Amino acid sequence: MLFWQVALAAVLLLTWERAAASGMVDPFFFSRPSDIARRIVTWMGTGVLWAHVRTTFTEAILAFTIGGSLGVVFGFALAGVPLLAALLEPYIRIANALPRVVLAPMFLLWFGLGIWSKVALGVTVVFFIVFFNTYRGVREVERVIIDNARMLGASRWQLARHVLVPSALTWIFSSLHISSGMTIVAVVVGEYLGASRGIGYLIAQAEGVFDTTGVFAGMVVLAAWVLIVGAFIGRLERRLLRWKPEYDDSRPARLA
Amino acid sequence: MPTAPTSHALTLHDVVVRFGTHTAIDRVSLDVAAGSFVSIVGPSGCGKSTLLNVIAGLLAASGGGVSVFGDPLTGINPRATYMFQQDALLPWKTVLGNVLFGLTLRGQTGHEAAKKAEAWIERVGLKGCGGLYPYQLSGGMRKRVAMAQCWIVQPDLVLMDEPFGALDVHTRLRMESEILGLWEGSGTTVVFVTHDLEEAIALSDEVFLLSAGPGSRLVGRYVIELARPRHLIDIKADAAFHRVYREIWNDLRQEVLKSYDQNH
Repeated sequence: MLFWQVALAAVLLLTWERAAASGMVDPFFFSRPSDIARRIVTWMGTGVLWAHVRTTFTEAILAFTIGGSLGVVFGFALAGVPLLAALLEPYIRIANALPRVVLAPMFLLWFGLGIWSKVALGVTVVFFIVFFNTYRGVREVERVIIDNARMLGASRWQLARHVLVPSALTWIFSSLHISSGMTIVAVVVGEYLGASRGIGYLIAQAEGVFDTTGVFAGMVVLAAWVLIVGAFIGRLERRLLRWKPEYDDSRPARLA
Repeated sequence: MPTAPTSHALTLHDVVVRFGTHTAIDRVSLDVAAGSFVSIVGPSGCGKSTLLNVIAGLLAASGGGVSVFGDPLTGINPRATYMFQQDALLPWKTVLGNVLFGLTLRGQTGHEAAKKAEAWIERVGLKGCGGLYPYQLSGGMRKRVAMAQCWIVQPDLVLMDEPFGALDVHTRLRMESEILGLWEGSGTTVVFVTHDLEEAIALSDEVFLLSAGPGSRLVGRYVIELARPRHLIDIKADAAFHRVYREIWNDLRQEVLKSYDQNH
């Protein structure tokens, strides 16, 4: 499968390259793969790329960790205290419905141009994904499994540890692909709107001077990163969720 | 309420269960001798499972009382484990982890506990399956794991709610024999809920008959005097088996008809 996936990319890139070379598409607007590759090599050569990648990476990790932890804590709290859930429900809906982009300028004001305004933006995205999944995971454990554990002598704490947490983890892990992707989107948007470093900043700079090659090169870097993170999470998932039939290695891969 | 003699594993005194205005169980009193195997039968919807959940402490009675080995029951029944009709294994634990679960909860986690669990896995016929996850097992195998999970903690009381209802006839017969094998000589008391009268008679020392719901009451109590150990394949050809079957069926029949009339 990997062979055909690479082959598809090769065909698309080659078509693009030929179309640009023959003048069918204007390289000024659409750039061309060879220019993009050269640009990335230049960036890597000067070392400028690493500084930007490192910044974006740090922001994403921080956002993911903070947002994820808050999501887990709130998910458990609200699932465990129905009264709290009932009280906060409309507020959570409202907060989740806010377009994050409008928050970005506020975060710039509050947290400055450095990494923390991007982390904050990332947190608002990750938090809700992890929160909703934790909440569902805790609430949707089958009654009979809880009853069985209680009959076998589980205390409240043991019930949480052996039943509720594993169930919530299932949901959280199943959403890792989405939440990791969304975190990257959020921090890059944050950088795009105001930063002095990061891949989003790199793209914004290139856009400012109509440098489409720079914009595409930035996107390629992001794409490569998403693929690497995705592969890593895929492995983690298969390891941790190996008790689920759909992660059986003998079964075909799924899109998520 | 008179103090129950300690030879009773279980005493129910005028137990009432109401859900809103609906009365599911109406003043049921019964007692179960320690170490005996008893069944509760009745037409479907008569509240057998509800009654079992009261005994388990998963459901609080709306009236009356339950005592377990002489102590009044409040909250979860600490002397009992429960084999459910549905699948109740932890899907994220292996067979070994599931069998071990009760011991883990009691803080027994070492080599000793693992050896004990391995022995139980072998005892229920799943040798070599310790590393598998529940989704990799057949329905019958999952029931075996549940059986080991319930019995490994050496409970004083095992509650079973139509545990073999979903199995095919042959697997079912084997599982019933194995349950008897586990129970005989263990000193454990078993309360078995089923709608299958043959199964109830074949397994039990005593059969309790509940009337058609709503407002189910205890309408019969039958002592089954068939010799032990019993061979389940032969027992159904036994004349004594048929006598007692006819006797109980006469009463059960009326309840089934009543519940049929209510639903049609």
